[in-house]
Amino acid sequence: MLNEERILLMTKMASYESGEGKKNMRIGKYFRSDYIAIQVLKSVVCATISFGLVFALFIVYDFEKFMQDLYAMDLIAFARKVLIYYIVTVVVYGAACYGICSYRYSKAKKSLKCYYQNLKKLHSLYSEQ
Amino acid sequence: MTVLLELREKLKMVYGRYEAFILPIVKFLLALLVLLTINGRMGYMKLLDSHLEITLIAALTCSFLPTGGIIFFAAVFSLLHMYALSLEVALVGFFLYLVMFLLFFRFAPGDSLVVVLTPLLCALRLPYVVPVAMGLLGTPASAVTVGCGVVVYFLLQVVVGNATTIGTLGDEEATAKLRLIVDGLMKNREMMVMVAAFAVTVIVVYLIRRMSVDYAWTIAMIAGVMTDLVILLVGDLLYDTHMSVGWAILGAVLTLICAKVIEFFRFCVDYSRTEKVQFEDDEYYYYVKAVPKMSVSAPTKTVKKINSQRKIGNTGRISGVPGAAGSAGGTRNAAGGARGAADRSYGSREREYGAERVPGTGRTSGASGRSGGVSGAVGSAGGTRNAAGGARGAADRSYGSRERDYGGSRGSRYGGRNVTASSRPDDSEDDYEELF
Repeated sequence: MLNEERILLMTKMASYESGEGKKNMRIGKYFRSDYIAIQVLKSVVCATISFGLVFALFIVYDFEKFMQDLYAMDLIAFARKVLIYYIVTVVVYGAACYGICSYRYSKAKKSLKCYYQNLKKLHSLYSEQ
Repeated sequence: MTVLLELREKLKMVYGRYEAFILPIVKFLLALLVLLTINGRMGYMKLLDSHLEITLIAALTCSFLPTGGIIFFAAVFSLLHMYALSLEVALVGFFLYLVMFLLFFRFAPGDSLVVVLTPLLCALRLPYVVPVAMGLLGTPASAVTVGCGVVVYFLLQVVVGNATTIGTLGDEEATAKLRLIVDGLMKNREMMVMVAAFAVTVIVVYLIRRMSVDYAWTIAMIAGVMTDLVILLVGDLLYDTHMSVGWAILGAVLTLICAKVIEFFRFCVDYSRTEKVQFEDDEYYYYVKAVPKMSVSAPTKTVKKINSQRKIGNTGRISGVPGAAGSAGGTRNAAGGARGAADRSYGSREREYGAERVPGTGRTSGASGRSGGVSGAVGSAGGTRNAAGGARGAADRSYGSRERDYGGSRGSRYGGRNVTASSRPDDSEDDYEELF
């Protein structure tokens, strides 16, 4: 027999129990600002390293031409260009990370709150039977 | 279907019981397959290629590490082969792995095994399985991981494809080697088309299988495979990616089979028994569609104890009736005499059939019961039955126990075997007749 109240609870809990439980517990230990700041900081570091790797590959890719043009080119303009690319990369990736982490945090908190409430309620329903 | 469902339940039961052993074995086999495939396809480092024990040790190590261990060892093996070919190639490979690790894997760490499975299945000409499977089992974020897997596959393909050229280039042409690999990746239209096709497939499959329509999973997998094929064919027309139509169709069919297997284990429901209920609380109206899962309970019959046959002499003869017997809990005599004052328990969770006879506890002369005047009077407590019987006494029957004991004393003179069989609660007593 279908128990309407239990179905209601399980429907609400379904989103939480889709395999994100452990992750949400970890997220739930932080305050929102702390969690997002740590994640964005990690993203900036990751983006910086990745940009460095790609830039190094770009230099090595055409190293001979680069070395030939090195003395003729405007190094300040080149550095500015590289810096702009770097900032764009970091900002875009950091913003994406900020958005993802904000979303994850709010989702985790909400679902954790609901989850614990619903668990209690479900437990009481089973006890009544 | 019932047989398949029973098989599934048995497999689940076996997996649940031996998970501690099965999981490391599966990891070991997967790691071994991945590493052997890398060695077989690349094989530039003779040390790795010729010494199987190194591969075995690595695979064994993976068996007790998390799944990330397989990715780590696969990356290390491929990088070592690249290094044996050329330092520059290894450098490009290392940079690529590092960028993928830093930028993408941290947002979908659970799907990281896909990065290994995608190149493996691409090498086995089954590339469409991964996006469909991830659409069914994962989230839209899996599209990123599947895309990374495709890039890894094409990196290895480019290295293998250009290995001869790279081998002929000298050390002074380091940038040329590097350019060969980078160009091979960046200007690879087949890779771009495949990444796009797989990403779209994952999202399409995910969106459709989450819909509240009947047979959503089946529709999703068919739609996913068709989407995949259409994008790949359009890409082939636009960019001339040299796609084999025959292999694509064969791969699509195999993908559907694999997807159906996944569906059977993960989402086996009976749409014919769908129930729709509607209710409300203070804040919302709820329209709930409940689709029952297909399931059967695996039949289990466990033999608990088998006693050796032993002879009992001159037992239970009461009032001139030979072989009077008593038992506790559902004694059955194949050849018996009186069915005496007995406690019979039918349907009780525990029954004993033909348990050891206790002399003198059976029918007594003048006691309640029907005297048959034949040998083998039986008195028992709890579920006594005589196949050929004499006295059927006042019985105290209790219904509802789950475990039954079969065997025990057969006939009037022999203490036979005791077999305890646990069974399903809905089994009737007659199910056990054949045991005698």
